Amino acid sequence: MTGYQRTLRLMALWLVSWGALRLSAQTTFPINGIYDQREGLYAFTNASIYTAWNQRIDNATLLIRQGKVEAVGQKVNVPAHAVVIDLKGKTIYPSFIDLYSDYGMPAQRQDAAPGGRLFGGAVQRTTSKKGAYNWNEALKPEFRAHEVFNPDDKAAKTMRDIGFGAVLSHQHDGISRGSATMVLLGEAAPHELIVKDKAAHHFSFRKGSSRQDYPSSLMGSIALLRQTYCDAQWYKATQGKEEYNISLQAWNDLAGLPQVFEVGDCLEALRAAAIGREWNVQYILKGSGEEYKRLEDIKKTGSPLIVGLNFPEAYDVEDPLDARQVSLAQLKHWELAPSNPARIAAAGIPFALTSHGLRNKADFMAQLRKAIENGLSEQDALKALTHTPASLMGVSDKLGSLAPGKIANFFITNGNIFDKDTKVYHHWVGGKPYVLKNIDVPEVVGKFSLEATTPTPGGQLWRYDLVVSGTDENPDMKLMLNDTASVKVKHTLQKDHITLSFAFKEGQNRVRMSGVINGRQWSGRGEDEQGRVFTWTATYTSPSEPPKDVKKDDKPATKSEPGPITYPFGAYGWTTPPKPGTWLITNATIWTNEKEGILQNADILMRNGKIVQVGKGIKAPDATVIDGTGKHVTSGIIDEHSHIAISRGVNEGTQASSAEVRIGDVVNSEDINIYRQLSGGVTTAQLLHGSANPIGGQSAIIKLRWGYAPEQMKLEGAPGFIKFALGENVKQSAWPGSDRYPQTRMGVEEVYNDYFTRAREYGALKASGKPYRRDLDLEAILEILEGKRHITCHSYRQSEINMLMKLAERHGIKVNTFTHILEGYKVADKMAKHGAGGSSFSDWWAYKYEVYDAIPYNGAVMHEQGVTVAFNSDDAEMARRLNQEAAKAVRFGGVSEEDALKFVTLNPAKLLRIDHRVGSLKAGKDADVVLWSDHPLSVYAKAEMTFVDGIRFFDRQEDLRLRADIQAERNRIIQKMIQEKQQGGKTQPVMGRQSFKLYHCDDDEDEMD
Amino acid sequence: MKNIPLALIFCWPIISLLAQTPVPAPPQEMPVYIVGATAHLGNGQVLQNSVIAFENGKITLVRTPENLGQVNLSRYKIIDAKGKHVYPGFIAPNTQLGLIEIAAVRATVDAGETGQLNPNARAIIAYDTDSEVPPTVRAQGVLLAQITPQGGLLSGQSSIVQLDAWNWEDAAYKTDIGLHINWPRLYSFNWFQGTTNRNENYDKEIAALETYLKEAQAYCKNTKPDERNLKLDAACPVFTGARKLFIHADDAKAITTSVQLAKRYGITPVIAGGRDAGILTDFLKANNVPVILGNIHALPSRDDADIDEPFKLPVQLHQAGILFCFSMEGFWQQRNLPYQAGHAVGYGLPYEQAIAALTLNTAKILGIEATTGSLEEGKDATLFISEGDALDMRQSTVVQAWIKGRQISLDHKQLELYRKFKIKYERKE
Repeated sequence: MTGYQRTLRLMALWLVSWGALRLSAQTTFPINGIYDQREGLYAFTNASIYTAWNQRIDNATLLIRQGKVEAVGQKVNVPAHAVVIDLKGKTIYPSFIDLYSDYGMPAQRQDAAPGGRLFGGAVQRTTSKKGAYNWNEALKPEFRAHEVFNPDDKAAKTMRDIGFGAVLSHQHDGISRGSATMVLLGEAAPHELIVKDKAAHHFSFRKGSSRQDYPSSLMGSIALLRQTYCDAQWYKATQGKEEYNISLQAWNDLAGLPQVFEVGDCLEALRAAAIGREWNVQYILKGSGEEYKRLEDIKKTGSPLIVGLNFPEAYDVEDPLDARQVSLAQLKHWELAPSNPARIAAAGIPFALTSHGLRNKADFMAQLRKAIENGLSEQDALKALTHTPASLMGVSDKLGSLAPGKIANFFITNGNIFDKDTKVYHHWVGGKPYVLKNIDVPEVVGKFSLEATTPTPGGQLWRYDLVVSGTDENPDMKLMLNDTASVKVKHTLQKDHITLSFAFKEGQNRVRMSGVINGRQWSGRGEDEQGRVFTWTATYTSPSEPPKDVKKDDKPATKSEPGPITYPFGAYGWTTPPKPGTWLITNATIWTNEKEGILQNADILMRNGKIVQVGKGIKAPDATVIDGTGKHVTSGIIDEHSHIAISRGVNEGTQASSAEVRIGDVVNSEDINIYRQLSGGVTTAQLLHGSANPIGGQSAIIKLRWGYAPEQMKLEGAPGFIKFALGENVKQSAWPGSDRYPQTRMGVEEVYNDYFTRAREYGALKASGKPYRRDLDLEAILEILEGKRHITCHSYRQSEINMLMKLAERHGIKVNTFTHILEGYKVADKMAKHGAGGSSFSDWWAYKYEVYDAIPYNGAVMHEQGVTVAFNSDDAEMARRLNQEAAKAVRFGGVSEEDALKFVTLNPAKLLRIDHRVGSLKAGKDADVVLWSDHPLSVYAKAEMTFVDGIRFFDRQEDLRLRADIQAERNRIIQKMIQEKQQGGKTQPVMGRQSFKLYHCDDDEDEMD
Repeated sequence: MKNIPLALIFCWPIISLLAQTPVPAPPQEMPVYIVGATAHLGNGQVLQNSVIAFENGKITLVRTPENLGQVNLSRYKIIDAKGKHVYPGFIAPNTQLGLIEIAAVRATVDAGETGQLNPNARAIIAYDTDSEVPPTVRAQGVLLAQITPQGGLLSGQSSIVQLDAWNWEDAAYKTDIGLHINWPRLYSFNWFQGTTNRNENYDKEIAALETYLKEAQAYCKNTKPDERNLKLDAACPVFTGARKLFIHADDAKAITTSVQLAKRYGITPVIAGGRDAGILTDFLKANNVPVILGNIHALPSRDDADIDEPFKLPVQLHQAGILFCFSMEGFWQQRNLPYQAGHAVGYGLPYEQAIAALTLNTAKILGIEATTGSLEEGKDATLFISEGDALDMRQSTVVQAWIKGRQISLDHKQLELYRKFKIKYERKE
């Protein structure tokens, strides 16, 4: 027995009795018994020590005392009374830190069913929490994780076993989740484990357990956060004199801490960061694992990231019909997700790794190795588990590295922690050891001479060779009956005790032996197959022969390269962003929408994103010429009423006014319908809030710049719009039992009257110079009164249309656009006089009572009466053929073809007040141009090419190539998945995930549960 | 041409501001002789400069001048249709026309009975001839419709009606022609997760359908059952072929599974919907299964799908030689049925095949082709004249229409409202 082994054995004895000990010199708790405080002075010698993520010292000593590091390095004076542990050949790492945990937090309320009208329950409009708290229950800034922290030995062990020694824990519930606490993963009273009581303020977009109806949409969550920042500022300024509010006080108290925001996808990361920018907060983003999809944009936010390793399992795609359910985006995500950490590291974004999201925490190291196989360097991995989380939380003085004064959090391995076969022996947390695996394993591999002797002196029973192969930790034993025949020997090994059993012939009674280990000599007592007692010894004779024909693991011959990242991520995305070209379309029929009318055999030139010239005989040597012979060219189609490209909820219909919410906050650039609509010639759309309440949210006007990030899709400098709505939807006619005000058209008028009146008073208060609480709802309505924001009003019946015009006039404003406006034909003269436009369906009717008088001649009548008329889609499918809808104005009411086309081009541009840029073909305007195969109002016409800002975002020929690419890429990844399944990889059943949800005006489900 | 619609609007014999559907037309008294039109026969053929004549509700002549022979023109009311188009009346299959007046007003909706198994429910008796909707539909050339119940697993029985009648009895063209299975969805959308997952009840629902067919088949062999079972009775004509089986299914596996099930009971079904039919053409052809296409004005089924997946489906089925026709979900929407066909032409379907898929193909699939569905001598005089191409919205102005020789009114509530408010603006009140 070596001295080294003796030391370890001693230590093992020590470890047994550690549980009851305290390391601190003093305690507030009374002691029942004899005071037993020890110094905890340990010296770990001869080890390779990672003192930090980027520094390893070999042959070094780590000295700890009372739970802290006292010294580390090659020249450490070890006090004589220190317990010395020789770690020759072993490695010490600083413990990992997980910043995204709910360790030790109380179990969350699990309501059987969500409330709200969808589920037949009563609507909860304000918080149900008693006390002077925030009006909204999803905001819990007053929650203090450290006040309820309760250590959980089982969960702590799970985390320690995968290398973590400390976590930042918070309650995963709500939009503001209150403060998180930094704790050690030891088994002790919470008093000893809390490293930092209030360490961070946590946020998400999800309501969690709150059953309050607001917010029901993502844009509502965003608005709620923005409003709360306003409220908190006001609360600080007024020092609580206006009202006492525990939540706002708590919110302000947490302002100086790191602010951590959990997001659900890569676009939400950008949205959270945008909120932070507005309020000068640099959030640390808890990512979704798909940051790589929009990495450059995320990098620009400057946000550090917390990233998980819960990479998706392969889908079971062997059945080709079932496999159709899985989208290319899902397939590609499976392939690319493991490279997410590496890509983040390569982009130079500071990030921490978390075990959060893993169904089985024990998979952590395996998943981490997957990330490393996909390009993450071991050094970056170590940094992301130690240095970065410590510094993000401002606890680098205590955690994340091994230096004098820091907490003694480290673990001991037999090698590189990132290698598959590396073992962790001990994990020391706060200077206390936790044993995963005994270090002192006896050396048992080799050939032994096993001799059994009867109690009678000299009475040898038998002698055989015992061959022990494998490893000391996991040995295989067999008894050689002669040169070739052997029997398997079962055994148990415990420190210095051993048991053996075997049968000379299979099925016969067994010989059983038990004994002690003294170095390479074993001895003990046994009973043979007939129960006769004997004594035995086993003596080491020689090394066992190495196994013959050792084959190296055949790794897959070639590791196939993952496919490219596309923008957007998935089908029909771009691998490189398209650029504006110089295009000359020649010899086409050109519908100018200008006084020149329709030009035959004419040309149009686009350059630098603008239309340069429209006319005959245009020459441009630098241009790509497109032969337009027999074809038609029009301005891009503008959909005045669209709900595509919106994430998680089109309505915040929980209150009569939701003027504070903005569609612009939730533009979904990944929606495949953007591309599909380009194929129908659409180039611009107004993304509207729904019609669930009288005053809805603010619109976004986007160009269909497929592949661009949400902010880049927005039409620069477009004026502000807001959705209003009248009639059955806002009365909630379809919700029996609804009691939200208003329930009648009478109430609808009063809501507007009230809000306009209050907004005016609010404006006066603002102008007065007195302190005021910034109210985002009234701000938006004030903008309407000031003419800075324009109304698009969902409307059907003439009575309400008339009402709103009269009410607006009383308040000195105009209604910009009535949308739907199916009874516009009854009051077209009044609309013209008021100056309101009409944006209608061509021919929809009979889907509800208020559209029973709708007629397809509506557009024509309004047009004749001098109203600016548009036809819109309100529908992702119909938008692809708005040119055909325009043709119905010719069929129903005899509008001229030239004017009918304007219903979907120039007129919506006018209604959106962007006709100086789009809507007609004239030099200087945006090059938003469609090349049609046929007369654009013909049912047979197809958009062959669609240009936005001179960029050819759709080309029917190119589309055919993309389809082939999609098939090829799908097949490549599917084959890879099948291979993984055949090699024993885990799979999950097929499941489809689309890039969008389809919304119409009245979709009003709660999406924030 | 621009002024023609207006002229038409003010020339109707019945100028009325009463909110009533038009009076049904009387039987044909005088033979009609339409000359000079481009006649789209519905069977894939087209006659330029045609002669179409009909009397007593039946078509008597479908000719070109070369093979016309001797005709005594004095007997006829002669219509000069030079430059215009004549079509057989379009047929709208699989519709809830007349079963729904206003979709969101529950009291006006009779489209689906409660419960899963309603094979005995008969749509014909709920068909409302006084609905304001059918007149707007027939003004677009749709003159016949298959009134079809919805919902559950077995939705009930459909009937064919003509769209100009006093009551459902004289609207009935052929009653209780089909039994409708609403095939369960293989995948269902989970709103909260935003994912499409396999429908967990799928196998159970299929088992319920199979049990129904198995037990009905046995039951129907008993000619004098001690106790009548209305639900099982409804299936008996299906086993003899006297009643068709319509299976509403879109997903490829749903289509193959449902057809295999029907075959086990000796039934050749009709697939309604058929979104994935384009990848099953060999299977459908081999089993002689016709398809009533669902809306082709639909989004592609998946993110990765071809952007024109629904638009090109008709031409795919045509090229594969599968009998198919167009349909349009819903009720008021039927007036846009012709434009679906037009859209398919834009994606490669030959024009006359598109007409066939609104007329004769539809009639064949519904089992009424012996008497209607095409312009052929001896068939019903159910047809219309359009100023221009009836499949293109910019030209499709129906000017005259006949059902079994009766010239129907093309007026409707929406024209009435149009006239009414024209008056308001003309008076400048």
